[in-house]
Amino acid sequence: MIHTRRFLLRGLFQGSATAMALPFLDCFLDGNGKALAATGTAIPTRFGTFFWGCGLTKALYLPKSSGASYEDTPQLASLKPYKGKFNLLSGFRAYIDDKPNIQHWTGNAAITTGTAPANDTQFDAKTIDQTIADSISRGSRFRSIEVSCCGNKRESYSSLGGSNINPPEISPLGLYTRLFGAGFQDPSKGDWKPNPEVMLQHSVLSVVAEDRKLLSKGVGAGDRARLDQYFTSVRELEKTLEVELRRPEIAAQVEIPAAPEELPMSKSVPNLRKVTPVLAKLLAIGLATDQTRIFNMAFSEPASTIYVPGDSRPFHQSTHEEPVDDALGYQPVTSKFSTYSMEGFAELVGALEAVKEGDGTLLDHSLVLAYTDTSNAKLHAVDGIPMLLAGSAGGRLKTGIHYAGTGTSVARVGLTIQQAMGLSVDRWGTDSNMTNKPISEIMA
Amino acid sequence: MHRRARNLILLTGLCLLAATQGAVCAAVPGPYLAALRRLTETQYRNSIADIFGPGIAVQGKFEPDRRIGGLLAASGGTLSITPAGFEGYAKIADSVAKQVVDEKNRARLMPCAPKAVTAPDRNCARQVIERYGLLLFRRPLTPDELKARLDAADNTARMSGNFYTGIRYSLTTLLAAPDFLFRTEFAVPRGKDYTLDGYSRAARLSYMLWDTTPDTDLLKAAGSGALDNDDGVKIQVARLMASPRLESGMRTFFSDYLELDTLNTITKDPTIYPKYSEDVAASGREETLRTTIDLVLKKSGDFRDLFTMRKTFINRPLAWIYRVPYNLNGEWMPYEFDEADGRSGIVTQASMLSMFSHPGRGSPTKRGVAFLDIFMCEPTPAPPANVDFSIVNDTNNPNLRTVRDRLMAHATTPACASCHTHSDPMGLTLERFDSIGVRRLKDDGHDIDVSTVIGNKRISDGTGLGQYLHDNPKVPACFVRKLYAYGVGANSEELEKSAVQPYLDGFVAAGYRLPPLLNAIVTSRQFFSAPPPAGALSKVSLNATDR
Repeated sequence: MIHTRRFLLRGLFQGSATAMALPFLDCFLDGNGKALAATGTAIPTRFGTFFWGCGLTKALYLPKSSGASYEDTPQLASLKPYKGKFNLLSGFRAYIDDKPNIQHWTGNAAITTGTAPANDTQFDAKTIDQTIADSISRGSRFRSIEVSCCGNKRESYSSLGGSNINPPEISPLGLYTRLFGAGFQDPSKGDWKPNPEVMLQHSVLSVVAEDRKLLSKGVGAGDRARLDQYFTSVRELEKTLEVELRRPEIAAQVEIPAAPEELPMSKSVPNLRKVTPVLAKLLAIGLATDQTRIFNMAFSEPASTIYVPGDSRPFHQSTHEEPVDDALGYQPVTSKFSTYSMEGFAELVGALEAVKEGDGTLLDHSLVLAYTDTSNAKLHAVDGIPMLLAGSAGGRLKTGIHYAGTGTSVARVGLTIQQAMGLSVDRWGTDSNMTNKPISEIMA
Repeated sequence: MHRRARNLILLTGLCLLAATQGAVCAAVPGPYLAALRRLTETQYRNSIADIFGPGIAVQGKFEPDRRIGGLLAASGGTLSITPAGFEGYAKIADSVAKQVVDEKNRARLMPCAPKAVTAPDRNCARQVIERYGLLLFRRPLTPDELKARLDAADNTARMSGNFYTGIRYSLTTLLAAPDFLFRTEFAVPRGKDYTLDGYSRAARLSYMLWDTTPDTDLLKAAGSGALDNDDGVKIQVARLMASPRLESGMRTFFSDYLELDTLNTITKDPTIYPKYSEDVAASGREETLRTTIDLVLKKSGDFRDLFTMRKTFINRPLAWIYRVPYNLNGEWMPYEFDEADGRSGIVTQASMLSMFSHPGRGSPTKRGVAFLDIFMCEPTPAPPANVDFSIVNDTNNPNLRTVRDRLMAHATTPACASCHTHSDPMGLTLERFDSIGVRRLKDDGHDIDVSTVIGNKRISDGTGLGQYLHDNPKVPACFVRKLYAYGVGANSEELEKSAVQPYLDGFVAAGYRLPPLLNAIVTSRQFFSAPPPAGALSKVSLNATDR
């Protein structure tokens, strides 16, 4: 092992990079525009999530009809340009059995783990993005990328289980630096060479991985799991560095933009409108250049407190305090916050659709789950939580459909997603959420 | 005996006996990993500054902590390191190591110079790695750990043709190691119980009192076995308590206890509060820490006066919040509020008032919930699920003009009342302070009634709330519970009452003074107690022969 590494490194320092035995293959598409002909590798399918807090307004988002010809609704107006490219999922229910309905948490965690959580801010299983990462992230630079649009370092709903979250990038510049700063291998550079420093960094990690021995003695189950997570993280960084030592090759037509300016981050709606498109565009280029195949964007937190400057009532406060307008049948001010949240999602979908890749767009080769914590935030209800699935996962899903879940488990959505992402799984979820019925109506 | 070997034997504790009397070391149960506590960001930063000097920049992204039982410090005992988090730590490690071997720092930081800069020098590398290994791992490296690092230094130096490149990457393996990023607490049997070994005791003392890594004296005391007995602990505690560094340690504790980190995440609506800024937030934080440290540590005053004192320290931004003239050239000036100002200790300081408010207005509920949790260890249960909050507040209702009116209407619904009657009264006494802590006498043009009843006590306003907290025995009990939990890395809500009662009794008897309380905690045997190893057969010796 050491001998091999020495040999490789010596090769590097003497400028003879060919000693590295890494694939130096040119990148071009095959005749169908579908694959990288040189390697035969298909364009990867990406998975992402978009989370927003406090749900939607039923009277304004839910179409009366289901199927492919459902009518437009006002709260989804911003998504209209992409109507044929996403599915609207309504009426699914998070079963809590004998667990508490932990407000603004149960719905959130049940959708991404298939399990109603026992404790607030904890996940009783790995979130779905991480399960999918286990299967598809190999070969991309980062296992997953998380982003908080409000700039909150605790705002991420991606987890390997327990109370640890995968920490988010909290500004456009932070996201840019992570994706395209040190370590980024620009696929458009013709004179690409592996960086010897990266090789040394990689060698450091194998020494760290050896430290496991002393720590494994007499340790309790909880700490053992935490150590396992640490060493898994070491392994993930090894994989990242291995990717940085390979010549990059991509199918998408993108240009790496200049670094964005440092923008103020906050929960104010005008600021979110400014920042979200920038974050979405950076994410899209990150996906297109295969920096990652998994992302999680949090538009706001559960019990969203995004606010409009000048109005002293933030979203969550508004859901509880604003009366339902008798004539309209809904809370007029509160509903606007839901609409703003959908506009944020439309920015993300639009950014993915804007990148041309192979015979379609990045959105076509992606699957993005938009989900929230409640259906009616005023009641903290977890039945009928609205969800949207954008992209066809490389043609594995039909799109443009409104499917009503009629009270069936939210885990059906997660099961459908995993099957669409190519995972061989035939049932998912626990207790009353467990299901073996994917939404066959949208499977291609 | 070689120093390294001797240290290793001391690490294993019971093997000292083996070395002097020829017993079979492996047969004796040795240290085991009893707890794993991820360093907090300040612990990390302070440790690096102490080990390599303040000139070494620590720049990068840390994993976020979570508040458990009211304390961020407690989450170190349950959180691990995620892939993105480790990426951040690895980058910081690389950057720190690069600075340490930089030409301008070598003379100060390298204990030796290599025979030739262009080649490996294992002896010099050994001096460097043994020194920093001890400081970073807070214990001597085992022979295997040392060998792996020396091999890495040699190989990298040979390949790069530079001794210092070898040192740099070897140091990185220490800085990115779990033994540095986590405080690994090893324990040994003691009678029927289990207790921390000397090095783990040193770290626990140092992070509790100074919020940083053990210094050379403390490590020496651990290595000599002095920390294994009560007298040895007392000698070191006396030294740590007498140091000015106690102040920085206690600042970290109070920042955690009072949840002042919240000031980093709140935002205020700029259209309503155009003059509020990060500078105001930082000033509020500093005011609270200054007044607290001055009272409880520098003056060794009665802890309960935190809730009633009118003395404070203000700077220019705070003078604006408090609407008082600022006529000093210096940065901070002592100030005493008039009785008529309605201010009462930390309860009415800008920091506490602004942290537990909405961006555009104050919140009796948020303030009440926070104060119950922080000062009385009474977290408010989550509201009942799927309850119709249909008695909502109509800001257009001519009968419900103020926040108080609307809340009261809301709280008449039985399901809502169960929580709001608990959380709101405290907060309602603070309604004469807006979202950023400025005093106001009217809400929407109407007078604000700030009287309330808590339990069976009638409270007239914010100063009444201060007095209520001052007199409430739950407040010092909660404080002692959190201070102890902070030191041992436990969830304060899960501690047995019996575990904290002796400290509380002493605190009350000594007039609610912090220094004697701290001293009582960190010199008690319980402070170093450890859970038994996992499984009866897991008491594995860590001596050299068996590894």
